[in-house]
Amino acid sequence: MAPISVGDSLPDGQLGWFDENDQLQQVSIHSLAAGKKVILFGVPGAFTPTCSNQHVPGFITQAEQLKAKGVDEILLISVNDPFVMKAWAKTYPENKHVKFLADGVGAYTKALGLELDLTEKGLGVRSRRFALLADNLKVTVANIEEGGQFTISGAEEILKAL
Amino acid sequence: MASVLARRARGSAAAALWSAARGFASVGSDIVSAAPGVSLQKARSWDEGVATKFSTTPLKDIFHGKKVVIFGLPGAYTGVCSQSHVPSYKNNIDKLKAKGIDSVICVAVNDPYVLNGWAEKLQAKDAIEFYGDFDGSFHKSLDLEIDLSAALLGRRSHRWSAFVDNGKIKALNVEKAPSEFKVSGAEVILDQI
Repeated sequence: MAPISVGDSLPDGQLGWFDENDQLQQVSIHSLAAGKKVILFGVPGAFTPTCSNQHVPGFITQAEQLKAKGVDEILLISVNDPFVMKAWAKTYPENKHVKFLADGVGAYTKALGLELDLTEKGLGVRSRRFALLADNLKVTVANIEEGGQFTISGAEEILKAL
Repeated sequence: MASVLARRARGSAAAALWSAARGFASVGSDIVSAAPGVSLQKARSWDEGVATKFSTTPLKDIFHGKKVVIFGLPGAYTGVCSQSHVPSYKNNIDKLKAKGIDSVICVAVNDPYVLNGWAEKLQAKDAIEFYGDFDGSFHKSLDLEIDLSAALLGRRSHRWSAFVDNGKIKALNVEKAPSEFKVSGAEVILDQI
């Protein structure tokens, strides 16, 4: 699968999520993104440094500005199970808007063409670091890192594009 | 559904028959030979991973020449695992050491960084060594893997415990269902050492 790019339609897929009432749900990307402006950003792994200390905090602190520019949803996905995503989300008590979604077996990451083999590091197949902006399911911005580096996939770049 | 019925049918037979019927891991078998070429990943922070060049630990280093109590569970940050299973071993560590146990090990199909975060949250790293079976190969070799896709966890481990002496499995306890916590706690294994 070629990596998703500008002009493509966001594929549908089911992701795991513990909602506001702590209920485990399966949500479909299309139900969250159809008819809306959404940011979908992905990280190689929960509880790893760049993901935890730089990538995620950027979107959490810029969430209000992003919403002010018309973004309806800010969705974070990682190839982790929903329990791990919930625990990781709890380490950000200040987070109001970013939804931590679990791509448990990596099916959605595969549908986006963004897998990254990190078996050597003990992580298995994960996701490349990326940030997408989609308007009614049409991808308008696709900032995809080669691997796990953090250069173009942050909140700042998305803000500039809005 | 069929596998659940099969498990229930097996569970109704005597517990001894259940563990004797197990393919690769059973009392008397050698845990290292049952899983040749398998290594585990010691729970660590990413920086520690970089510093150790992401090295893995072969089973023989963990088991040879040692008395080990090892327990496996479905997943870090999940209910029974966090609230009952790990605390059972953490709270009984002195009794286990008094009976000559060299190490108490917790293993799960998680990556070593998630396990490290969880172990620190449970404040259990002093008592217990946490190892990640990140691709499930350890549990698969011992026939202890279970498909928990219905719970959005994918292929994981049963809830189990074992007393392993110089690589030989002396006691093995496997819960009938991963949500149960009846035979795999520290109190049970203390009687089996």
